[in-house]
Amino acid sequence: MTSSRAAIATLVALLLAAATFIVVEIANGAVDAGSLAVRNPCDPRAPFPGQGFDAALQRIVLDGLDGAACELDATREELVLSLAPRSGAEPIRWDDETIERAVRAGLLEAIDDAEERGSLNAVVAVLLREVVERAPVQWLIDGGQGIADLFG
Amino acid sequence: MEAPAVGERPKRPLRRSLQLVAVALAVAVAFADSSIVVLALPEIFTEFATTIEGVAWVITSYNVVVAVCALALVLAVHRMRARLVLAVGALVFLAASVACALAGSLGVLIAARSVQGIGGALLLAGSLPVLGEIAGSSARGVAVWTAAATIGAAVGPALGGALTQVFDWPAVFAVQAPIAGATLLVAFGAHAGATQKERTGAPLLPVAPANLCLALIFGALAGTLFLGVLLVINVFGYSPIQGALIVSLIPAGTLLASPLAAGLSLALAVGGGAALLAPGLLGLALLPSTDIGYAMVAFALCGVGLGLSVPRLTTAVLGDGNDIGRRGTLTVGARHLGLVVALAVVAPILASDLTASSDVAVLNATAVVVDGRISATTKIPLALDIRDVLDQASESEIPDFTAVFEEHGSETDPAVRRVQDDLVDAIAEAITRGFRASFSFCALLAALAIGATIVFRRRLAP
Repeated sequence: MTSSRAAIATLVALLLAAATFIVVEIANGAVDAGSLAVRNPCDPRAPFPGQGFDAALQRIVLDGLDGAACELDATREELVLSLAPRSGAEPIRWDDETIERAVRAGLLEAIDDAEERGSLNAVVAVLLREVVERAPVQWLIDGGQGIADLFG
Repeated sequence: MEAPAVGERPKRPLRRSLQLVAVALAVAVAFADSSIVVLALPEIFTEFATTIEGVAWVITSYNVVVAVCALALVLAVHRMRARLVLAVGALVFLAASVACALAGSLGVLIAARSVQGIGGALLLAGSLPVLGEIAGSSARGVAVWTAAATIGAAVGPALGGALTQVFDWPAVFAVQAPIAGATLLVAFGAHAGATQKERTGAPLLPVAPANLCLALIFGALAGTLFLGVLLVINVFGYSPIQGALIVSLIPAGTLLASPLAAGLSLALAVGGGAALLAPGLLGLALLPSTDIGYAMVAFALCGVGLGLSVPRLTTAVLGDGNDIGRRGTLTVGARHLGLVVALAVVAPILASDLTASSDVAVLNATAVVVDGRISATTKIPLALDIRDVLDQASESEIPDFTAVFEEHGSETDPAVRRVQDDLVDAIAEAITRGFRASFSFCALLAALAIGATIVFRRRLAP
């Protein structure tokens, strides 16, 4: 083989390697990498795993946030960011009253579901309903740790 | 003293070798200056408390001035003594480099960079004939100039990054002053006045196709260098020196490709080089994760592509040594014009996409924390602390969450550590996607270079 033919063969091999590289990247998820990865809150999703009160509380809160976000036609993540308004990446699209109403409704529905599934006993469910109906939403966020400590 | 005739072996080889190295280094630095400051931009941004658009002018001003001055010099450079042009260029470059290093405000820095661009254009315009004279033949001078130009352009960001990390951003400019000073000594050396008169008057139109390819490839190079370095350091979180090592795959690929280029026809070398540069850039646009291995393969492809195409195109543009001053100056102008046009397009695309991808990053990061398999007693205060870190982060970098996660037990609790890793990946991947359109545009420039090579395949060499 002449040096020219060897050079052409090397170039062809490099071009094939480059094409293979792109195919490998696409096969490893390049098309969707880094895209928005939040789910539709109106679609059912697997419940938060785990045993005990902490996991049960998180299941209720996450289900409640999903229900509220679905009602507001938003994602759960947008709603969470709206509840923590100092993170300025996303503009808040709702007034406080709308958010509170949606969050309370979502949480109450989640408590009902948890009670129906047997994840919560009736006494705790009543207590939680009282808290959700009466407490300010910001208190629920800031006080979440305290509630969990109380029951955990 | 008379200059040696073309083809005659030079006398006093050590002295001439030193002169050759000095001028070649100055050529490399003048080309490196197009991108050398890119890794110092975060420090300059912080020190002068400016805007991203303002700090970008530290790069843009140099490239615009070099392009404009070089294209203007094409009309006059053949009437000037090359050593005088080189000397004036080196003097202006030296003074401007010192002024850049001492700049106390962004306005002064941008002004000094503009003056440095004038010096760079003059230095590059005068260097080719002088290198030919020192090396003993135009062909050897062209070979040295081409190698210095290619390597200089490719190592610029890495060199600047290393200097910024070890010292500070003024060091990027301070180290250039002695190199320009050495070139000044060469220009005023024993052979001053021996510059041969160039044969001129030949139209430059025949070298237009090759210069068009060079402009397109250097536009694509903007993607490889500017965007690639920003990605590796500001998004993937590598230190400037680590980033310099990763990006050094570009000059390594360039060097490895040289023997291969010699065995190919000009059109095949240029077209093949652009055809490797395009998938290299596309590979950077389509990174599936923040795994640095993908980026390293892409950088190596870009380096091989540049090594195949740029030296052969440069040799074709400069030809047999006739009218070398004008031809060299024209190609300097064409390259920097390509860079400037690419930067002018890429900068607003990147700025807009990064804003959008930052919003996606925050939403994806929120999902990671909300769904994290950690207790509510850890999750809620952690989420509030992450929010505070995000609020305090500057626009130009991904915030460091290490301290926050350590405070909440990442060193002892694997679940917290997992959330930390997922959070950092979610943010980095979203921001990486923000580079996609910019890299794709640069890949398009490389694809256009393939098209130009096919169309002008018989006219690449005048």
